Amino acid sequence: MIYALAVHGAPYSSNAAEHAIGFAEALLACGHQIERVFFFHEGVYHSLNSHVPPQTRYNVNLARRWQSLHSGGIELAVCIASGIKRGVVNETEQERYDLPSDTLSKTFELVGLGQLIGAIATADRYVEFPA
Amino acid sequence: MKRYLFIVSRSPYGSSVVLEQLETAMVAAAFDGDVAILLRDDGVWNLQQHQSGDALERQTLAKVLSGLPSYEIDRLYVCASSLQMRNVAIDQHLGFEAVDYPAQQALIRNSDVVIGGQP
Repeated sequence: MIYALAVHGAPYSSNAAEHAIGFAEALLACGHQIERVFFFHEGVYHSLNSHVPPQTRYNVNLARRWQSLHSGGIELAVCIASGIKRGVVNETEQERYDLPSDTLSKTFELVGLGQLIGAIATADRYVEFPA
Repeated sequence: MKRYLFIVSRSPYGSSVVLEQLETAMVAAAFDGDVAILLRDDGVWNLQQHQSGDALERQTLAKVLSGLPSYEIDRLYVCASSLQMRNVAIDQHLGFEAVDYPAQQALIRNSDVVIGGQP
């Protein structure tokens, strides 16, 4: 089965990412496909290139886990409208708005809302991970 | 063509979520989706008469809702029980039909994708 996923919660404040990553890994382990993971609302903060994971005994590194999914061929797409208003910019947007640096991790890409609907239209199932 | 149901359960100006949900619905309609919208819980406040986002320097949500038919989104529903509980005076011009729980169940059952149902 083909799945489309969406993450709405910010890193280390909502459990959205832990649930989404766990679900995605389980889907792949069961032989399903993931069309795209879409980051919307405060979920866009996952795509910042400047995270420092909280230093606790558990050392959950969400950026590394997303990287691992991305290396496995999963597309990580960030809503551009939700992203740029929260400071998530790639080189193009950095130049457009004359900002001091780009902030988007190379693991992610900025896309329009059409990419969310496109993924949902293609997928058999759409699952949202709210904040 | 997929049938989408967007469930809006947030109040209009407490966050940007409602506006972003409606924008997503418009994109789904632009991509040939068959889109319905259901307002429920605090989402029914989006239909309040005489609202204005100007005071908050925000878009007026009722105006955004009034523009939905121009995106070919004309299946517009509101939860009758949520309206009654909050005693909201709704703007009738927005064309939302009040529906009971069995009708909402049918809406969900008859949709391929249900989006944004969280409170």
